[in-house]
Amino acid sequence: MSILYSALLMGGTGLLFSIFLVIANKTFHVEIDPRISQIEETLPGVNCGGCGYASCASYAEAIVKKGAKLNQCVVADKDTLDALGTIMGTKVVKGEKRIAVVMCRGDRESAKFPGIYRGIKDCAAAIYSGDVAKRCKYGCIGLGSCVSSCPFDAIKISAHGIPVVSLDKCTGCGNCVEACPRGLIELHPVSQKIHVYCKSHDPGAIYKTVCTNACIGCGLCVKAAEADGKSDALKTADNLVIVNYDNYQLKPEYIEKCPTGAINIEQNIIIK
Amino acid sequence: MKLLLLFIASIIVNNFILSNFLGICPFIGVSKRLDSAVPMGLAVTFVMTMTAVITWIINHLILIKLNMPYLQYVAFILVIATLVQFVEMFLKKFVPGLYRAFGIYLPLITTNCAILGLALLEALKNYNFMESIVFGVGSGLGYTLSMAIMAGIREQMELSNIPKPFQGPAITLITAGILALAFMGFSGMISL
Repeated sequence: MSILYSALLMGGTGLLFSIFLVIANKTFHVEIDPRISQIEETLPGVNCGGCGYASCASYAEAIVKKGAKLNQCVVADKDTLDALGTIMGTKVVKGEKRIAVVMCRGDRESAKFPGIYRGIKDCAAAIYSGDVAKRCKYGCIGLGSCVSSCPFDAIKISAHGIPVVSLDKCTGCGNCVEACPRGLIELHPVSQKIHVYCKSHDPGAIYKTVCTNACIGCGLCVKAAEADGKSDALKTADNLVIVNYDNYQLKPEYIEKCPTGAINIEQNIIIK
Repeated sequence: MKLLLLFIASIIVNNFILSNFLGICPFIGVSKRLDSAVPMGLAVTFVMTMTAVITWIINHLILIKLNMPYLQYVAFILVIATLVQFVEMFLKKFVPGLYRAFGIYLPLITTNCAILGLALLEALKNYNFMESIVFGVGSGLGYTLSMAIMAGIREQMELSNIPKPFQGPAITLITAGILALAFMGFSGMISL
């Protein structure tokens, strides 16, 4: 008899609870645009933040509710963008792919180290603890804060102690740009292959004492560009040559005269 | 006075994780970062309080009246599952900010043994209605406390040089053990 009672009691309670849940589900139903979940499923779902929103879900919401642009996802390939276009009923044009470029060539062979740093394996920590990890006060410390910030496993420290970016894996989300305490990583379109791989404002004498790959601001590349009639492509400022990225017009000829190799073509990038 | 004692006792002396060893899996799984450990703890506190109230009503007004306390396990699981579902719907409609903050943690709590443990302990110790509420809130806060301590320690450990064989889960379990030892120092402070 008690078996029957307990079965009845539990069955009844279960039924009661499920009816309660059904009613609650109906009363508390929230109207959500079905396109939001469709877009969320289409997006890569890595939550890298490259689009400027905190997660893929909030980007999907922004597309539908606030009319955010569809081509902001840096990870999406052409198929994904086409699928997004079908959901929203428009056509999506993808901008040129941008990748992270590490603006330092101060590897173990060229840069000088005052000693061996054995502290916390984090670039910012190394700077706060006396900034003794590397003699150059502008260059890459090489402890890999950018590596741990990358959600795509696209950046790693090479055997020479400098981060290298994989052209295939990098999506240009920009997490490493924020992770680098020295601000050495920049996002640039893939077609722009020539950069000045140095951020040091120290005078030319550092070539011998700090780093043999430093830009010493000699201006030979600027002169080569001027001779070619592209006087606004490069300019010297405070012992450093600065590239005009608003009007990018560098050619491989300009880098030939560089005595240190600071202005160079496709450094720190693995092309496979 | 007795309620205050019960409150303090359930936070530190009979801490759910570190003295009763209940709810260990989120303690290891979600304690990597402080900003996810604390919301998890708060979600548990919320569900524990609700569970304490509702299971007390079910236990005393139905099961004991009908002389069927052996149905406690089944009934409590049913209550907890329904409750978490309901709370999720309610938050989604009225407090969407909190709903997003809790995220995945809220449904995860359904299968957390600390919640069932709370309901069963409460029935075992024969608490009255007020005591049940205080026990629920206190246990939840104790849970949050140990989650926060663990997450804080693990955030620091991430930056330190741990010997290779101890990296990852090993050092986490050792830390949990030492923390539990430390909390043993509280036992005997208040006897309930």
